Amino acid sequence: MADPIEEEIQQELKQHKILIYGKGTKTAPQCGFTVETMQFFDQFGYPYEMINVLENPAKRETLTKMTNWPTLPKVFINGQFYGDTDVLGPMQSKGELKPLLEQAFQAEA
Amino acid sequence: MITPETVTEYVQKVLTDARVVVSDRTGTMDHLNVRVVSDAFKGKNVLDRHRLIYQALDEPLKDGRIHALELTAETPDGS
Repeated sequence: MADPIEEEIQQELKQHKILIYGKGTKTAPQCGFTVETMQFFDQFGYPYEMINVLENPAKRETLTKMTNWPTLPKVFINGQFYGDTDVLGPMQSKGELKPLLEQAFQAEA
Repeated sequence: MITPETVTEYVQKVLTDARVVVSDRTGTMDHLNVRVVSDAFKGKNVLDRHRLIYQALDEPLKDGRIHALELTAETPDGS
């Protein structure tokens, strides 16, 4: 029987092209890195979703196992894991990020 | 609270040739910026480079000596 939490995550990944798992909510972020990540994506103008896992240790543990990445926030683009702004920043400066986002949202157009 | 020397030791256990620069972002020595230069990063994308560093620093992250990490991972030729 598949893990219900993992299924919940898979569902969320399907619904949101850009998905940030972090501490706090969009309107009340509770961690500097979470704010930084949202501001990072504000540059591009694409919609993104923030899911608060601060009070959900089981989901945090599942996400950590799924991604082999110990910290929050965790960013997914088009269902694929990309770490956080420490990873997305260098990807942006290497010109890898813009095409990725365009491709993710092109499927919708 | 952790010292730059201890951080370097942990990183060098996994990345033996690593040059490590640790800077304290908030004055409490647990919100750190860690810059790592190593040959082992050659051919690895940014995500996998950071995974290596997180594996090396797993223990101090788990026991709270490190609270937050900002990482930079480059090869000696700066790529």
